[in-house]
Amino acid sequence: MTPTSETELPTKEKTAPVLVARDLHKTFTSGDRRLAVLRGASLSVSAGESISIRGESGAGKSTLLNLLAGLDTPDSGEVLWRSQSGSFGEPLVGGPSRLLKTRELGKLRGIIFQSFYLVPEIDALANVRLAGAICGLARGEAKARAHELLAQVGLSERTHHLPAQLSGGERQRVAIARALIAAPPLVLADEPTGNLDERTGDTIIDLLLGLCRERQTALLLVTHNPAHAAKCTRRLALHNGLFA
Amino acid sequence: MTWPFYLALRQLFPKGRVFPFFTVISVLGVALGVALLIVSTSVMGGFGHQIRQMIVDTQGEVQLRAYGLLQDPEAVLAQVEAVPGVVAATPFAEGVAMLEFARKPVFPAIQGIDLERAEAVVPLRRFVRAGSLDALDDDGVILSAPLAESLGIRLGSRVDLYSPLLLERLKGEELPMPRELEVVGIFEIGHQQLDNALALVTLRTMQELYGLGEAVHGINVKLAAGSDPDAVASRINARLADEALPVRARSWLDANEDFLFVLQLEKNMIFFLLTFIIVVSAFSVASSLLIAVVRKTREIGLLGALGARPWAVAACFCFQGFFIGLVGTGCGLGLGLTFLHFRNDVVRVFTELTGSEEVLARFYQFSQLPAHTARADLLLIIASAIVISTLAGLLPAWRAARLRPVEALRAE
Repeated sequence: MTPTSETELPTKEKTAPVLVARDLHKTFTSGDRRLAVLRGASLSVSAGESISIRGESGAGKSTLLNLLAGLDTPDSGEVLWRSQSGSFGEPLVGGPSRLLKTRELGKLRGIIFQSFYLVPEIDALANVRLAGAICGLARGEAKARAHELLAQVGLSERTHHLPAQLSGGERQRVAIARALIAAPPLVLADEPTGNLDERTGDTIIDLLLGLCRERQTALLLVTHNPAHAAKCTRRLALHNGLFA
Repeated sequence: MTWPFYLALRQLFPKGRVFPFFTVISVLGVALGVALLIVSTSVMGGFGHQIRQMIVDTQGEVQLRAYGLLQDPEAVLAQVEAVPGVVAATPFAEGVAMLEFARKPVFPAIQGIDLERAEAVVPLRRFVRAGSLDALDDDGVILSAPLAESLGIRLGSRVDLYSPLLLERLKGEELPMPRELEVVGIFEIGHQQLDNALALVTLRTMQELYGLGEAVHGINVKLAAGSDPDAVASRINARLADEALPVRARSWLDANEDFLFVLQLEKNMIFFLLTFIIVVSAFSVASSLLIAVVRKTREIGLLGALGARPWAVAACFCFQGFFIGLVGTGCGLGLGLTFLHFRNDVVRVFTELTGSEEVLARFYQFSQLPAHTARADLLLIIASAIVISTLAGLLPAWRAARLRPVEALRAE
């Protein structure tokens, strides 16, 4: 499966894709300067696989992740997601230069940031439940899932601690639980170990990969760490706005 | 509880912090505005209510005045008392006389009252401070406290009363003899203008002083509780017109229309002007929430990235304005009503400190600060404060809703 030539929808024989990105272009303008960050990047992510994306700073990794997460629109090209209920072979949702309704988007993919971005005024459990509520989960279901996920990430004893009372590694565990609460078919992680020490980072990556594998959730991991990238089933490198 | 509602509450009252600074300051602004509005409208309402009550207490709710003299008051009284809504009626005669004590003359207003009927209409006994209403007879007089004080009169003092009728007799070269009366009581209504110079005598004495015979000047009427004074006055007029009696009934609302209009206008102006205090505090709520939007830009971006719709993010900030309004109004209500409860103690301390007790009584007519909190005023204040505070959250909410998640997450 070559990333740059992946433009066709997969057939029944292939593994069902959860995300297809075709010929993505993105240019940023600053005054008279135009900077082409993505120049036709294409990618297909199959259910349950883990993909690492590496690249130099400014290679367009975060821009690509924002487009794949539906947080930004490409200048040209399209991003298609498989809806949560969509079974194999059903048309993907999305399209050229179109942002999905945000609540729908929350169910299509989970997202993990380098800086955790937890809401500081509410405890770990509420942070995870909040994501569930935003995605439209029923109150009881969101609570049960949040407890289960926090237990799975090893924080069952710290559910009522505020983010400020947690270590960096613990905060990122909460963020992982948050990304998985709506049981999305895909998790996008943007340098999730960037703010952690090496040992904690390794633990977090192992935890993330393990949980995704267990839940048959696809993972797209942007990382600078070759060891972390090596743990993924597919490794990609972004160079000058294209997959090398 | 929907998540914007929950998050708004948590952002205002974060876990582990009893008094979050931003929330306390915003709530305090609204609370002070509401408290001030309640206190000022209640005190204004109190003045108005007291003045209205005083008018009713001294004139009755409906007053009949004759075109000239009412020659046969008993016939009119019988007609009036038969009108539905009328509880009691009492005739009166009024005028001005010269009162002399220790060669010191004054010219008070003088009113003749029917002792058998007056109490059913006017609560005179309530105003008597010394002596007794029961002691009033045709040779007695009850004086207002300031009048008695200005002449150095005590209970039992004897005063001379010269009526205009004596002056008429003087023209006829008769020797006018004043009517000597004993002071049997001193009253105080509590209103400077009414108390200033007023003397009460029996109706018979007044009729003799003015040579009225059996005639009177008018009739004061008391109505059943809940009766509409204007409607009863109309019914009385209709009945008296049928009998072709030269009398016109006016409700106290009608007779004092201009005065009551000014009172209401003053109250409305005070309300209007003081509402700006809440508007100003709403601006402080808006600016605090705007700062929160800037401070929480990444969190707002996160909510968008998690799938929150822009309107839900906006609702979160609108709810914050609503909660600030709600809590601020509650605190303001408590603060305002507590102040009103202890208002006279506060005023006493203030006047003692500034030495202005007499000034208050002289210029504001009342020795105690009155207060009357109308339910409609209270509801209007509560609704205005909550609505204005919620509206204050709209601008920050709109700004938050417009933030694109990808840009918000990149914010420094």
